[in-house]
This record gives sequence, structure tokens and C-alpha cells, in this order.
Amino acid sequence: MTSPDEHFEQRARELWHAAAQHIDPATAGRLRAARRQALETKAPARRAVRWLIPTGAFAAIALAAMMVWQPLPQHHATSAMHAASAADELDNELPPDADKADPNLYQNLDFYGWLASTSSHTAAR
Amino acid sequence: MNSVAGTLDTDLLGDARETPATLDAFLAQVERRAFRMAELQLRHREDAMDAVQDAMLRLVKHYRDKPATEWAPLFWGILRRRVVDLQRRRKVRSIVVGWLGGGRDDDGDELPTWEPADPGQDPLGRLHDVQSYADLAAAVRQLPQRQREAFMLRMLEGLDVAETARAMDCSEGSVKTHLSRAMHHLRDQLEDWR
Repeated sequence: MTSPDEHFEQRARELWHAAAQHIDPATAGRLRAARRQALETKAPARRAVRWLIPTGAFAAIALAAMMVWQPLPQHHATSAMHAASAADELDNELPPDADKADPNLYQNLDFYGWLASTSSHTAAR
Repeated sequence: MNSVAGTLDTDLLGDARETPATLDAFLAQVERRAFRMAELQLRHREDAMDAVQDAMLRLVKHYRDKPATEWAPLFWGILRRRVVDLQRRRKVRSIVVGWLGGGRDDDGDELPTWEPADPGQDPLGRLHDVQSYADLAAAVRQLPQRQREAFMLRMLEGLDVAETARAMDCSEGSVKTHLSRAMHHLRDQLEDWR
């Protein structure tokens, strides 16, 4: 035995489904065509969007890694620069190349030796 | 009532609760009821067809990868928003038509409205309960928008409260409130059914 409320709901539902079932053939055909057309549509750029997130994350991680590791090459570069300057200093201490040096240098070699020793003493003080 | 019940396939009444395996099967299952729901609210077959077609397209385009259990609330939610959108456009159009001469030609005769007369066949022409369905449809149309949506989705379409709330973009409590008021109103309107 159903209550009046249940009877009401059941009746409404039955009429509703019957009305949905009894649609004229032309409308039913148009609905089928609409469904087929909808199912043929693609989801453009959805996959591209899906790949954008991991690609972006990877790029961010790579950038962060580069920033973390960047000081090391700089260190190498600065040490290389120091090495180069040290080599230059060593070169300065070597005797000058005889072919390229000014001939006057050899003529006044004693004077330049005295001058160098004097200036180094002055700098030491 | 017996004539209606007799014409109903028992599977038909139960199919709203089954979860279809494919999107094609789901749309085939709901397309006629969706058309009836849109038609009942818009009172215009072409607009109803447009609304259903658009809802199908949007579901397939944006939600085809969702689990099958989510298709029903998503689809009915899309259709509901489409119907509301069309109703708003109608209002604006009616106002514009009113401003531009009130829908009368130079001779003062009333022009055809923007909504042409519905040429469609009576949906229950071959049934004995045409009047009952007409009474139900008329009573449902008198309901406020949210009560009508709650009644159609929850009672007629058979969504559960959570699915109805999702389709209506509101809380489950609101669904229960709207539905309760709708049922109260419909019972008063359709007193003869008791």
C-alpha cells in the first residue's frame, strides 16, 4: 500500500518517462544526430595543456638547479683568473727576452739592477 | 494512470539509475528526457533542441575523461545553466522588442513574436494521459526556477541529493528546502491525483 505522497511521486515519474519516450520521430532523429555530432568533437589542446604542467615544472627545477650550481663555475673562473695573473707576475720576474728588449737595457744593466733593488727595498719599508 | 503505466517499459524507469559504460550510451539514455526537461522550461522546441545539443557538446568536449558516475550531475548541470542562459536572453530580447515599437507593424497589427508557435506534435498524443501530463507540466512551470530544478532533477530524473546539489550549484540543504516547497506546491496544484 503506497502513501498518497508516494503515489504522487510515482505518478509524476511515470508520466515524465512516458513523455520522454513518446517523442516524435523527427525530434528523436535530430537528438540522435546531435549526439553523434557531439561525440565526433575532439578536445583540442587538452593534451597539450596536460603536458604544459610537467614541462613547466621540469623547466623550473632545471632553472633552480642551474642557479644552485652556478657559483662553482664562477669559482673556477675566478681561480683561473688568479692563476693567469700569477703567471703574469712570474713572467715579470723572468729576464726579458733578449730579441725584444731595448738594447739600452743591456748597456745600462747595472743601473737598472740598482734601481730595481732600491725600489724593492722602498716597497718593503 | 494504468494506461501510462502499461506503456512504460520497466527498464525505462530503471535506466536513470544505471551507470552507462560509454558516453554514447549515457547520452542516448538521457537525450530524450533532457529534451523534455528543456522543452518544459523553455516552452520552445527549437530552443530546447539547442540547449540539449549544446549540453551534449560541452559534456563531450570538456568532461569526456571524467568517471562515468560523474556524467549525470555534470550533464544536468550544464543543461540547467544553458536553460537559464536562454531564459535570460529571452527576457532581454522581449525588452528590446518592446522598446522598438512594441511588436507592432506600421498598421498597428501585432507582429509575430520572436518565439514562433510550437509546430510540434503532442508528446502524448497516443496516450490517454495527455491531460495529466499537461497538468503536471503546467504546475511545474508555475514553480519558481530553483524549486522547479530541484523537483525535475531529484524527483523526475532520479538524481540523489548530492548529485542534484552538484547540478544546481548549491548545498544539499538547499536542495531539500527547494524540493520540499516544490512538493508542497505541486500537491496543492494537483489535488485530483490523490
